[in-house]
Amino acid sequence: MPSLEVSSPITGTVWKIVTQVGDRVEEDQPLVILESMKMEIPVPAPEDGVVEAIRIAEGDAIAEGDVIAVLRTD
Amino acid sequence: MPFEALLDELARRRAKALAMGGAEKLEKRRAQGVLDARQRLDYLLDAGTFVESGLLATSFRPEMVEKSPADGKVAGFGAIDGRPVAVVSNDFTTLGASSSVVNGKKIRHVRTVATQSGMPLILLGESAGSRMPDRMGAPGRAILGQDAQEYLRDRRTPWVSALLGSCYGSSTWYACLSDFVVMRKGATMAVASSKVTALAIKQAVDPEELGGWKLHTAVTGLVDVAVDTDEEALDYVKRFLGYLPSYNGEAPPVVAVPAGSDDAIADILDVVPESRSAVYDMRAVIGRIVDRDSMFEMKPRFGKSIVTALTRVDGRTVGVIANNPMFKGGSIDVDACNKATSFLVLCDSYNIPIVFLVDQPGFLIGMEGEKRGAPGRIMNWMNALSLVSVPRVTITLRKNFGQAYLNMGGGRNSDEAAAWPSADFGFMDPATGVNVLHGLKREDDPERFDVLMKEIARDSAPWPLAGLYEAQAIIDPRETRAYLKSILQVHRRAPTGGIGQHRLQHWPTSY
Repeated sequence: MPSLEVSSPITGTVWKIVTQVGDRVEEDQPLVILESMKMEIPVPAPEDGVVEAIRIAEGDAIAEGDVIAVLRTD
Repeated sequence: MPFEALLDELARRRAKALAMGGAEKLEKRRAQGVLDARQRLDYLLDAGTFVESGLLATSFRPEMVEKSPADGKVAGFGAIDGRPVAVVSNDFTTLGASSSVVNGKKIRHVRTVATQSGMPLILLGESAGSRMPDRMGAPGRAILGQDAQEYLRDRRTPWVSALLGSCYGSSTWYACLSDFVVMRKGATMAVASSKVTALAIKQAVDPEELGGWKLHTAVTGLVDVAVDTDEEALDYVKRFLGYLPSYNGEAPPVVAVPAGSDDAIADILDVVPESRSAVYDMRAVIGRIVDRDSMFEMKPRFGKSIVTALTRVDGRTVGVIANNPMFKGGSIDVDACNKATSFLVLCDSYNIPIVFLVDQPGFLIGMEGEKRGAPGRIMNWMNALSLVSVPRVTITLRKNFGQAYLNMGGGRNSDEAAAWPSADFGFMDPATGVNVLHGLKREDDPERFDVLMKEIARDSAPWPLAGLYEAQAIIDPRETRAYLKSILQVHRRAPTGGIGQHRLQHWPTSY
């Protein structure tokens, strides 16, 4: 099963991490929630899969394109 | 019996053509759970309606005649839900349904008749590309390109493609010219096969990576929807056509309104958060406004911060373009721009009124977008919107910031504008506005910051816009469905029977 890096669509701050390593997630399910442009912006899973790694911590400042998590996809 | 020998010969030839590439190859497909070209037509078309064109056509090469039943492409006419259609179903068991002189003539004939008689054209793709040696050398060139209209797309009738196997050559080209494309997972679409590509670039190529469903639904946007089986793909083809007219000279079909369609709007206030920093999935809003279960999303995995969906309101087809705050906060990126533009082209070409549902903080700014030519994509969208001649209604739910206000139908770019009381019209978010206009950050002077922010927010409320008659109505969110039903009726364009000018019908395909 291939691994898929999920990167941030946007520059912002990590507000909440809402999944854990090992969680099975569905496409569009939020992995983490960022704060950007005065909004809470979820970063959703681009595909169904299992969370293999989370590469950021709550409060981190991140840039567009930074890897947030790694999914093992079906 | 008179004619006996001739009729026997006809029966023999027909049976041979219907046997396609032979029992062994057909059995192998059955074992894989994949339908063959004729089973696909049986599933797609109303029973007993298929009229075949070219059953006895074969390769023109004498040595290939016996090996090329129907020359690998089953073509003809039939009906779906009682409405006439033209079809080409590729028979991969016959020489990989490769493109040849004779089957090229079949496609051309069916395509021409579809346009002349006002029928959608359906292409069931699964083909290997050019047939060799037909296309080799100078004689091959002399065959190719003899029809200068072969790849003309003028949207006089809808075209739909289903990609149901390995698709190279004609299956790929026609999919990219189509108004809707569905792909079976496991099928591939590319310019050249993984084998040919691997030879050309001297490295291993994974077919799925080269042209699988994930690439085309999420990255290229060339495929609208991916499904698991042939049957599901064909169901999608039928459903899509149910929203469209048979040709551009008629209005889309009107269907009965499902019972309970007026009920779902009741809890809309619980779906959209009042807090401007919280997000929600716009698709839940659309589902509550339109007729029950009528939302047919185009390109759902591509450019997700914009939703484009065919829907019905009061039984009539309506195209919805909506921002989705769930993705990138609803900020509009390059993919979302291309998705919106291609949807405008679809709606304008087939007389489908457009409704904008707006909740967007602006275009997504950043390096990535600029590298991909974001300003050009934004203007492409505006150019398309300026040419649209079907009715346009825009409803602002919450944020409606910046230049994107125009792209989402602001000002004279709609025939009618309404807003919820929660609407917020400004050039940017009020908090950002204080930064930009007054050079003040909240941490410097929180008290003054809040005063200035309130000032900006007051100016951007919907009331002044209503006062200036730039919004023709401010509506309770729970009135949204009723409002749309009435206002679309008001803009029915009776003198033309709802038929637009189709100034986008010649626009480029496959954004």
